[in-house]
Amino acid sequence: MKKIEAIIKPFKMDEVKEALNNIGIKGMTISEVKGYGRQKGHKEIYRGAEYVMDFIPKIKIELVLEAARVAEVVECIRRAALTGKIGDGKIFVLPVEDVIRVRTGEKGYEAI
Amino acid sequence: MTCHSPNPMNGELLSKRKALETLWQQGTSGHKLLRQQALLIDTFISRHFSTARSRQGIALVALGGYGRQEIFPFSDVDLLLLYNPAVVDRLSETVEAVFYPLWDAGLEVGHSVRTVDECLTSAKEDFFFQVSLVDARFLAGEASLFATLQTRFRQEFIEGCRPQFIENMLAFRTKRHQNFGIQPYLLEPQIKENRGGFRDIQAMLWTAQMIFGLPDLAAMEEAGLLHNDERRLFEDAWDFLIRVRNRLHYLSTRKNDQLFFEHQEEIATAFDFKPADGLLAVERFMCELYRHMQTVAVTTDLFFEHVRETLSSLPTASPDRRLEPGIESRQGWLHLTDATQINKKPALLMRIFALSAKTGLPIHHRTKKLIKNSLHLIDSRWRRSKRLTRPFLDVLLHCGKSQHALNALLETGMLAAFIPEFAAVECLAQHDIYHVYTVDSHLMQTTAELHRLQTEESRIFSSITTPHILFLAGLLHDIGKGEGGAHADRGARIAGPIAVRLGLTPDEQDTLVFLIRDHLFLSSTALRRDLEDENFILRCADRIRNPERLAMLYLLSIADARATGPTVWNDWKGALLLELYLKIAHTLNRGDRLPPDRHDNIAWLRRQVGELLDNGSDLDPALLPEDYLLSFTPAMIVEHIKRRQALNKAELLLHAEEEKGHWALLILTKDRPGLLAKICGVLALHNLDVLAAQIFTWPDGTVVDQVEVIPTIEGNFTDQDWRGLEADLLAAINNRLGLAHRLHLKPAPLRRATPPAVARTRQKVLLDNDTSMESSIVEVFAAERPGLLYEITRTLADFGINIFRAKIAKEAEKVIAVFYVRNSDGSKIEDPALQEELRQGLLFLVAARPGRSTATLPFL
Repeated sequence: MKKIEAIIKPFKMDEVKEALNNIGIKGMTISEVKGYGRQKGHKEIYRGAEYVMDFIPKIKIELVLEAARVAEVVECIRRAALTGKIGDGKIFVLPVEDVIRVRTGEKGYEAI
Repeated sequence: MTCHSPNPMNGELLSKRKALETLWQQGTSGHKLLRQQALLIDTFISRHFSTARSRQGIALVALGGYGRQEIFPFSDVDLLLLYNPAVVDRLSETVEAVFYPLWDAGLEVGHSVRTVDECLTSAKEDFFFQVSLVDARFLAGEASLFATLQTRFRQEFIEGCRPQFIENMLAFRTKRHQNFGIQPYLLEPQIKENRGGFRDIQAMLWTAQMIFGLPDLAAMEEAGLLHNDERRLFEDAWDFLIRVRNRLHYLSTRKNDQLFFEHQEEIATAFDFKPADGLLAVERFMCELYRHMQTVAVTTDLFFEHVRETLSSLPTASPDRRLEPGIESRQGWLHLTDATQINKKPALLMRIFALSAKTGLPIHHRTKKLIKNSLHLIDSRWRRSKRLTRPFLDVLLHCGKSQHALNALLETGMLAAFIPEFAAVECLAQHDIYHVYTVDSHLMQTTAELHRLQTEESRIFSSITTPHILFLAGLLHDIGKGEGGAHADRGARIAGPIAVRLGLTPDEQDTLVFLIRDHLFLSSTALRRDLEDENFILRCADRIRNPERLAMLYLLSIADARATGPTVWNDWKGALLLELYLKIAHTLNRGDRLPPDRHDNIAWLRRQVGELLDNGSDLDPALLPEDYLLSFTPAMIVEHIKRRQALNKAELLLHAEEEKGHWALLILTKDRPGLLAKICGVLALHNLDVLAAQIFTWPDGTVVDQVEVIPTIEGNFTDQDWRGLEADLLAAINNRLGLAHRLHLKPAPLRRATPPAVARTRQKVLLDNDTSMESSIVEVFAAERPGLLYEITRTLADFGINIFRAKIAKEAEKVIAVFYVRNSDGSKIEDPALQEELRQGLLFLVAARPGRSTATLPFL
């Protein structure tokens, strides 16, 4: 099992969610996050006032799935989140040791 | 712990409680049900007590709500076992006989076993125990013991201690309101602890009894503390709250006093509320509940103000002072001094609120009552009078120091008397988890948040020259709520006449209506649109028009979100909104956009063109269309006009220039149907990708077409076959070129082999009639393929739709083409049937996979 964490632009959330739905991914966790990477935060000067945007608002999508589907899902997220400009985000793939469903106690693949 | 055999009396209690529930189901509610619950428990306790062997020197006393005979289905039963120290050895058996059965019966028992001395000591330490003794009621046992407690309690806690009692009571009340929310209008109100809930009722009754010896509401009315109509309203409210709480306990089958979201609908149905006037049954029920809680809150507030005044013997820091004729400040409260004067000068009714806002002094409760009873004086003539509108705007401008003036304006009914449209949103609830407050309460808070932003965002705020318009927008932005969707548009329509009545200038009226209509624009687009999309930012700038309106809209958006509920606003959304704000602000401040005085600017441009032409043309610059004038420099316009003279010989002129990042093509020709489609087709044949196009038609039929292109195959500007392109364009407009089949035969560009993933690109056609004032906007999302733009523009031409501007963006293998279009008569595409037909036509087109594939490559 793998966990996919994708950091994307906020306005792309609906598109990515829909694209994932279309390939049969129904469950995910979504959160509002802030951070920066190569798209550094920046300073804006407007009418003499300085606005520091050190952390940039992004959406984080997390989902856990069987390893066999990782490539397909990553590609799906990448396509939907792509604008071609800086700040489109990143996708991380992590190994998952186990999953337990709280209600039933089911484990592993069954619990996803 | 002793083990108990099942007690037959327990079963009896349970069955009786069941019987009560049945009674309740049959309609018994209110005070009656509470008393019956209490009686039931009285009997139960007395019978168990009578079975105890030693009853000497012991008295059973009901405390708190149980003492008042107000037992809700799952309320705690507060029971005190009072004993004479002499019988302490025999106590445990009696305690077991009384308390165990209560526990066994599943009742929540608050129990204490104390001597009279212990009671009084505890009461000194614990204010809650002290007030619960106010309601003490003798149940069984030795009555003299209870009498001693009563007498000593009175001596030690009431006689001579009244101010202390009041201080404690007020301190706890304030603390409770802070813990549970000062607004009675929370989404899921706690009907016991919230402001306007049961605790407020009890606090008033306790105080009336302790301080004035008035045991109930009737006595309070007799003593002149309540008007008859106030008492009736209060009793209605109390009764309603009791019925809600009874049902809430039965519904939750436990002691629950919070009206959770999921219970609200059920109770509304049970109370027979029906949907009406665009409101759900549950919204009407909550509205009613909020109204009653408001009654309780206001009545108890007035009561405590009165009590504090009566008991306060402290000399106040502020001496009495006449602030203006008819208005005085006395001991820190504002008074209308002469009721008869109000009839002659109704403006006093508003001026006192303005003074309250400016000085931060609250209005005295008797004056509030006086205002309430004088509202009929505010008629349509006064609503337009400067003598009222000026102080009203002063309230909005100065209520930053304290919320009191604005809240009092609402609570006294003065706001709805002055702006009758406001009555429609008073106590209006919205049944969703997003809106925590009722609409009127949200509007008050938005105004308060704007005052906070005046300090927090002082730089932006100080750029606003008409802050009263911003505060008005805060107060009125949701005035269109309550009749289903599109509340912003409806609100804007309602606000128009209000703005006129308030005597605002036409510009101010315009701004107010704009702010209300667009109050959701920034917050909704910040989340949903690509802020990197310059075209979109330009559209926003077009819509907002000038930096001051943008600043107002930005501050209003923040205030609105913060006042909606604790979860709606956060740093994350704040950062997105700030980014959008700054982007639009920069665009609005750039010189290349039209200045706010569009007319002056156009006139200036016309003069410039006229001077440059120096009568060298037969074309009058006055005839050139406005948007054309605004899109080019005067020098470029003159260049176009000069070239146009050559058009008399040729049918088409092409001029290409190399610019940074793209090539700019200027095409001049005569207008004809499907012109842009033909141009797009030929450009595709010549391996040129269109990035943007603008089409202007002069009154004489000359078309000026500005197209930005990039080559699909790497190549130099000078290597491009421009004469061949011009020849093909000429052939195409003369209907001598079969574009469709030529494009079909043309292979996909080699460097961009069509990837299989394209099939997954989602096709989408959107039609937007809101963004632009003059044009409909058609957005087509499609997978990229050669000739696509030709096919889309040809389809639009087939519908008789004129394209004025086009912008084409490519993202990965996806094309997003945006067209500003109008019908042939210059109108927007409003007909729903045509909209749907157009959408389907375009969808079919972009979904169709022409039978071309890489397989055709070998032929070429």
